[in-house]
Amino acid sequence: MSAADNKKLMETIFAAVSAGDRSLYTDSLADDVSMTVTGQYSWSQTFHGKESVLRDLYGYVASLLKYRRTIPLRIIADEEWVAVEARGDMETIGGERYDNHYCMVYRIENGKIREIREYQDSTLCERVLGPFPKERKLAAAK
Amino acid sequence: MTSSENREIVKHIFAETAQGNWAPLLESLADDFRFVVTGTSPWARAYDGKAAVLAELFGPLRTRLVDKIVVRAARIMADGDLVVVESRGHNTTTEGKAYNNTYCNVLRLEGGKLKEWTEYADSALVNAVLGDPRAVKT
Repeated sequence: MSAADNKKLMETIFAAVSAGDRSLYTDSLADDVSMTVTGQYSWSQTFHGKESVLRDLYGYVASLLKYRRTIPLRIIADEEWVAVEARGDMETIGGERYDNHYCMVYRIENGKIREIREYQDSTLCERVLGPFPKERKLAAAK
Repeated sequence: MTSSENREIVKHIFAETAQGNWAPLLESLADDFRFVVTGTSPWARAYDGKAAVLAELFGPLRTRLVDKIVVRAARIMADGDLVVVESRGHNTTTEGKAYNNTYCNVLRLEGGKLKEWTEYADSALVNAVLGDPRAVKT
């Protein structure tokens, strides 16, 4: 697929994600996707495989939030790589705003997302969502 | 300029920052260059104009770190006027602490000059290692 095809895919995915519908995004994850939360804070880790990404990372995030939308700002595509700058529009179960800034980098192969690298404001993440639980970190590392 | 021309400009800039040479970057900044540090660290805000970027951001950063400031690009993506650079710093503070942040930078170029730089980095590491820029004496 061309850079234009990959950009189109991420535009379509984020049109849904910004409306709170993550199903196309989830469907587009390859079974062997790897997702890295970059940095050196408690959430920083590589999650290997779709099952682990959904259970150990997204499942945990979902358990903390009342609702979540992610609004894309700029989408930049170069061959199999697509970077998406985005702004979160979220609220925790406790009623606190969680509007992080993200730059997500995706590698796409034949219409499936194979690799994700997430850059975000780690200070805000840990302040609002708390540190990533150690037991989940150990489970994801298995 | 095309995507590939912009990619080459940025590739050259980062080939030099990997050696601690920031001259090609500084020469590429437009006078109305804007640097946006995203997030909620005390360094996070928009710095407007080349003079403000040098005095209020690069100056304090230079004071906090010893030796050459080294940043190595891991991946460069170009799409029209925008170039994304994932990179890693390899630096040490004046107190001897390692400051090896991971960055995703989105650069906007116009006519071969850098007009805008949006930085995403681990702000918890910034807070823990660099502290507050207002406390830096330049």
